[in-house]
Amino acid sequence: MPFVAPTPPLPVGPMPRQMTSPPTLQQPQWSTASAQHRENSVNLLRDRQLLRTHGSEPIETVAPPPLGHSFPAEANCNPDVMSCTMNAVPATAELLRRSRLPLGLAMHPFKDLRSLAIIQANVIVRCRDCRAYINPFVRFSSQQRWRCSLCFLDNDLPEEFLYDPISQTYGDPSRRPEIRNGTVEFIATQEYSVRPPPPATYILALDVSQVLSPDPAVAKSATAYLTAVSQTLLRCLDRLPGDTRTQLAVITFNGVLHLYKLDGPRPSLLAMPDLDGDSDLPMPEGLLVTVAECRDAIVELLESLPELEFPAVPGCCLGSALAIAHRLAQSSGGRLLLFLASRPSVGPGALSGPAGSDSDDLAGQPATDYYKRLALDCCSAQLSVDLFCVGPGHTDLASVMPIAVYSSGRVHRYPHLPDDADRLASDLGRHLTRKLGLEAVLRVRCSNGYSVAAFYGSCFVRATDLAALPCASPDAGFAIQLAVGDGAGTAGASEPVVFQAALLYTGRKGERRIRVHTLGLPVATRIEDVFAGSDQRAIIGLLAQIGAERIITGASRLSDSRDALVNAAADPLAAYARATGQRGAGGLWSPPGIRLLPLLILALLKWPAFRPSVGQLDERAAALAEVNFFVGAAPVI
Amino acid sequence: MILLTMIARVSDGLPLAASIHNEETAPNMPEYQSKAKKLFRRLNSTSPSRCSLESGAYTFHYQIDSGVCYLALAGCNFSKRLAFSYLDDLRREFANQFDTVRVDSVARPYHFIEFEQYIKKARRSFVDSRANRNLAMLGAELQDVQRIMVENMDEVLARGESLATLDDKASHLSLLSRRYRDDAAYLNLRSVYARYGIACVALA
Repeated sequence: MPFVAPTPPLPVGPMPRQMTSPPTLQQPQWSTASAQHRENSVNLLRDRQLLRTHGSEPIETVAPPPLGHSFPAEANCNPDVMSCTMNAVPATAELLRRSRLPLGLAMHPFKDLRSLAIIQANVIVRCRDCRAYINPFVRFSSQQRWRCSLCFLDNDLPEEFLYDPISQTYGDPSRRPEIRNGTVEFIATQEYSVRPPPPATYILALDVSQVLSPDPAVAKSATAYLTAVSQTLLRCLDRLPGDTRTQLAVITFNGVLHLYKLDGPRPSLLAMPDLDGDSDLPMPEGLLVTVAECRDAIVELLESLPELEFPAVPGCCLGSALAIAHRLAQSSGGRLLLFLASRPSVGPGALSGPAGSDSDDLAGQPATDYYKRLALDCCSAQLSVDLFCVGPGHTDLASVMPIAVYSSGRVHRYPHLPDDADRLASDLGRHLTRKLGLEAVLRVRCSNGYSVAAFYGSCFVRATDLAALPCASPDAGFAIQLAVGDGAGTAGASEPVVFQAALLYTGRKGERRIRVHTLGLPVATRIEDVFAGSDQRAIIGLLAQIGAERIITGASRLSDSRDALVNAAADPLAAYARATGQRGAGGLWSPPGIRLLPLLILALLKWPAFRPSVGQLDERAAALAEVNFFVGAAPVI
Repeated sequence: MILLTMIARVSDGLPLAASIHNEETAPNMPEYQSKAKKLFRRLNSTSPSRCSLESGAYTFHYQIDSGVCYLALAGCNFSKRLAFSYLDDLRREFANQFDTVRVDSVARPYHFIEFEQYIKKARRSFVDSRANRNLAMLGAELQDVQRIMVENMDEVLARGESLATLDDKASHLSLLSRRYRDDAAYLNLRSVYARYGIACVALA
């Protein structure tokens, strides 16, 4: 019995969609003469009140235009979930180049939603050629055939699709929830699972090298963070997402590794002096235990953690700790929460050398690729690493950060413990109790003629349109840059351009699910329509993630990125003046959709990620990681 | 050493629970998993209720009971009696925890994946074939061993396929022979025309 969340009431007289002549797309309300455009455009040199003063957000969300009666009211997904930089997609590459605006998608695919249509069916209906999921933009040529909206191929419709679960009758296939909603979630059939669903695994790796530091302030901050972590974990222990098989392991490290045997009545500490990453685990069982079975030992360990006496060996062997955690989680994958207090100095992955000055253009590049390689190993084991930087000093975050960035993890920084302890506790609480999306894969498909050029975000990009996320986060945002090819617009102005994002993941109860978001937009053949439909929120999200990614991977220097961002604001305005013939008219005219773009770019350039000099290198690294993780969703000024 | 355990519904091959043990020592796990899934799809009510299937270096042992199939993959030298007493133990516990009505009504794969914890515990007690506790069970199960059929895994999977290839070949053959007959008739006709033509030309 398929379960479907309540859908909005049907509009009056829903028409079964017969295919005699294609219904025309209702033209968007902005395709008018260019004189009216000039009235709508904004003179940036004269108008100063650009931000909205009413409403909760200073920048309004531009929803895509309604596409007419032939498509249901909720055909497009929520603009907060997926939005395009242009609400009228250019029909040719030449048009896109003339506008000087970036074409892309800013998406937040795993966002917590208030209502979601969940579909359980024996067959998930997909196009046989491009493998796109059935969506509100398909056309039914008869009761048994449907035409894909991305590749325009005719496909067969299975019998059970004619059954409408809400009214429990057979009839018009366009009443199904897959056709009425832009965002649906399918319960996957068994072909979508490579292996049986693994248990939810949480590994905690805590750096205790600062606890025995001679400086009392440093020691106090170390104890404060251990207290915050253990109390948060005790509070959330029963609310960890997962079923009865949920597993937990604890590792602490300073100059040596400490592992904890948790399957007895009391926890016991095992020190591993051998720092070589290839060594075996000291015991096969007992280190990674089921929470339900060994709860008492876990609780006792967490309660005593802040006062525990660790063997006093100076140094920080981060590489060995990561290697051991990877070994523990090899068969099940899961989440590793890594707390780093000082720069790794012993064992594999040790970093040395001077800190470097932060005004140096190349500062902020990783000093070694050990952590990136380890991140890719973790990705193939489906282990995601979240990095919490809790040290007051320099931890060379820029070199260690790739371990989180490439395994879909998030980077946090708390330089002012114990004052920041509350913020640490609440962020950790959110991390532990948020929705779980293990072994996730994200793929984006576009209509004929449009293709994905690049993928940006905290993930491992397996192919241009495919990203692997060992653990999908409800807070993560991604930006996709699109390219216009030769076949674009050949279907005619009445067919929408459709973009579809599908996220395949394993939920907390071990069920495999597919969340599909579909966006359909009209095609623009004139430059005025392209400018009229531009959306500054999506544009700034895309530009910020591109800029952050370029700096993190070392593809461009900081000064080049800053120049590129400034040009990204200036070029569209020049192109707009050329297109509407206002050159030399006095004033700086901008289409209403991107009137805030210069302001947003200036704000972005003041963000620690892109500022020419920040107080500490770690601050820039953490800011870059944060921009890379979730700005695609919604910028906050 | 038992390497893989899978429990599935016989009617449609839907996997209900599974557990993979010791991934490092058995490198080809995905291949054996897909073989097991194919086997589940071929099972029906006429399949033998207990069977061992050899496949490469390992052997699949399975047992069907009340519409549920319990399958274990073990090394070739692992005692069959132990394998079947392990499957019997699983069967008893699974039937205790979940009744047939519930099993028949579930739709999503791996619905009972939480049973994996019991599978892991049961496997640990059966892993060492020299354990004293197992010797007592060996004697009790002795007489059941003779009734278990041993087959080759690849033959079972290929059964359906070889019939299909035979069918293809036979229809191809009939097509070719029909074409041959038509060609032969045509050639015959041509040679008749040629003969009469020459005769006419010679007369004229």
